[in-house]
Amino acid sequence: MSLLEVKNLSFTYGTGTAFEKKAVNDVSLSIEQGEFIGIIGHTGSGKSTFIQMLNGLIKPTEGQIFLDGKDIWENPKKIRKVRFKVGMVFQYPEYQLFEETVEKDIAFGPKNMGLKDDEIKERVASAAKFVDLKPELLKKSPFELSGGEKRRAAIAGVIAMDPDILILDEPTAGLDPRGRDVLLSQISSYHKSKNNTVLLVSHSMEDISRIADKILVMNKGNMFAFDETKKIFSKGEEIEKIGLQIPQITKIMIGLAKRGYKLPTDIYSVEQAVNEILRLQRV
Amino acid sequence: MEFIDVRDVVFGYEADEEGKENKIVLKKLSLSINKGEFVALLGHNGSGKSTLAKMFNGILQPDEGQVTVCGMNTLDEDKLLDIRKKVGLVLQNPDNQLVASIVEEDVAFGPENLGIEPKEIRKRVDDALKAVDMYEYRGHAPHKLSGGQKQRVAIAGIIAMQPDCIVLDEPTAMLDPQGRKEVMDTIVKLNKEKNITIILITHYMDEAALADRLVVLDGGKILTDGTPKEVFSNVELLKKHSLDVPQSTELAHKLSSSGFKIGDTPLDVEECVEAIDKALKKK
Amino acid sequence: MLKEITLGQYFPGKSVLHKMDPRMKIILLTCYIVFIFLTKNYISLAIMAVSVLGVLTLSKVSPKLYFKSVKAIIFIVIFTSALNLFYGTGEPIWQWGVLKITQAGINTAVFVAVRIIALVLISSVLTYTTSPTDLTDGIEKLLKPLTVFHIQVHEIAMMMTIALRFIPTLLEETDKIMSAQKARGADFESGNFMNRIKALIPILVPLFVSAFRRAFDLAMAMESRCYHGGDGRTRMKVLKYSKYDFMALGVLTVIFVGVIVCNVMLPVTIRTGM
Repeated sequence: MSLLEVKNLSFTYGTGTAFEKKAVNDVSLSIEQGEFIGIIGHTGSGKSTFIQMLNGLIKPTEGQIFLDGKDIWENPKKIRKVRFKVGMVFQYPEYQLFEETVEKDIAFGPKNMGLKDDEIKERVASAAKFVDLKPELLKKSPFELSGGEKRRAAIAGVIAMDPDILILDEPTAGLDPRGRDVLLSQISSYHKSKNNTVLLVSHSMEDISRIADKILVMNKGNMFAFDETKKIFSKGEEIEKIGLQIPQITKIMIGLAKRGYKLPTDIYSVEQAVNEILRLQRV
Repeated sequence: MEFIDVRDVVFGYEADEEGKENKIVLKKLSLSINKGEFVALLGHNGSGKSTLAKMFNGILQPDEGQVTVCGMNTLDEDKLLDIRKKVGLVLQNPDNQLVASIVEEDVAFGPENLGIEPKEIRKRVDDALKAVDMYEYRGHAPHKLSGGQKQRVAIAGIIAMQPDCIVLDEPTAMLDPQGRKEVMDTIVKLNKEKNITIILITHYMDEAALADRLVVLDGGKILTDGTPKEVFSNVELLKKHSLDVPQSTELAHKLSSSGFKIGDTPLDVEECVEAIDKALKKK
Repeated sequence: MLKEITLGQYFPGKSVLHKMDPRMKIILLTCYIVFIFLTKNYISLAIMAVSVLGVLTLSKVSPKLYFKSVKAIIFIVIFTSALNLFYGTGEPIWQWGVLKITQAGINTAVFVAVRIIALVLISSVLTYTTSPTDLTDGIEKLLKPLTVFHIQVHEIAMMMTIALRFIPTLLEETDKIMSAQKARGADFESGNFMNRIKALIPILVPLFVSAFRRAFDLAMAMESRCYHGGDGRTRMKVLKYSKYDFMALGVLTVIFVGVIVCNVMLPVTIRTGM
């Protein structure tokens, strides 16, 4: 049984008005425990709406979502509990910090879950460790932290809830390349260590290709593709056609292949490209 | 006389109540910008690039040293209005720069402050909006626009003041790929067609590659200054300072260091494909 | 979608009222409000009521929207009228136990109801046919004489403009903050009054912090665009009175004079005010 199963999921905004729009159209897929899935798509492709349906923030207009075999909307009054199992980090999460101390803010989620004080303390410490937040910072006001520290504190706040599925919406938005690399590797270590399931939404196929096992491509509300990373990259040109940016390295390989060179085009890292070109060159 | 001259500038933030260390952000930095140049300032968060950006139009003033624009010193309060007429500033957050509830009224804000007569303002606003391809949105409300559109309106607001130079502080950091492309196309157009001096602060390599001149900042000092090709060819130096290079450049560099020499430093996909093709055919 | 709400809601159009100068509209609205309460008998009340309906028709805004604005206050109207209905002075026309209805009571109830509804409708005409920007421009120009008393009219108008600009943005942000806190298990629905108030802190604190951050950025952007207060500032849009404004002034002067004439010549049904 899959951890998360989505059946014919749709969401329509403004039903019956002149502004009626189908944001998500008939999406069906299953996600297994332990997977790391990248979600990519335009602004307006429906990816934000899609993920907000997975944790019950938005109620689908059609279709169902099964978590551990149970429909999450079976008992609408208990929908809050779903959010403890499916954690979500929004874009620019640092804008949601509010507590007197970083410690208290990270504890907000666990507190809402009704956990005991000592368990909360443990969760906070563990979450802070995953994002490399120094213990001295915990007693400070969140507003005294640097931009990067604030973001990590906000992410820790969701990790502390220890969700089975962690969804991150563009966690590296606005970060410089170094900050982005550090955060992605922290997320990757977190995933490996917890062995839970992670969904990461991003605009950058370069970022996703580095850490995801599978990629979901959304286009205009529809599921364009959902497959292993390498197989998605073999569809590189199609993905470009729907307006998404494929990594420079993939474009280079496609460009060389077009010039007649026998090179694979499902390449998404510089190392892979180097190996393939050197192999060709030695021939 | 240089257009903008930065001479031995030192800038620091004072220690706060908690006794956090006095942080020197700019350490005796000197830089000259010539009229009509398209300069990209590259660096980490914390390298001092954003601070420097705000010195070009006198929003921030140096603790030591001086910044002069056409001979006018930014420390001279009487000259600030004239300096800001010549040097405009576009910031990172598209939302927090727009003042009015209607696009064309926001673009008119600058000229209105300069006391320009109404008919002339109208003309400038229309021309500015056309220059950024937003003329058809002139009657729209800003909050309904996409990030890329908002930034273009912000740029139009600066163009309407007819400056000689526009400084853009990470203008695409909060935008999606579509928005980034719109803004970068606009910036390149303004430099090439209207000969406006552009100072672009960024941490995106592919954006920096579009400039005529690339200045890399690290720890408040200039690390290197040259054309994009010159700067990016020095891959080792950049990597040592945790800076990135475009994937095209990195591929060529890694191939060359593995024994397969690629001539030239490619900055983008076409150049890279061309260079590898040539190298493979040479065998 | 909270962001669909606009303050006072403006509906663009091409009617006579849309073409009028906002200053004239504000002045005439003020006069209207005064005269609605100056009506002393049914004739003058009818004149005012009919003229209000006339203005509504001229605005070419859908009657459904005017109905909506009345709907919002209908309970207040019914409540106040009913109160006045049963508390009049004089001989009772109808009685049932303690409840008695007098002619005076009926008069007061009718006047109260018609006046409040007319007030709401005529105010709606202003907001429906005037863009928020024009409204603030109009207010700024009208209040300009107050600068003699050292009241910073320009700055106040600038604050209003910026507030109007950011209301939709802040509403959108509130939405986002709520979603994020809900994702962390925040509960805004259940609990007693105190709990619900406490539950607002995770929304209000980030919102305030964000508002200050925006203000800081905006101030920098405004300074960069050479903002230095109201001195020497010109405006792209110059407000000019047109023929529509003078026609409106003329017509309404006649109506207002009519009201005064009715008050003087005809018997008084009701004391001024409520």
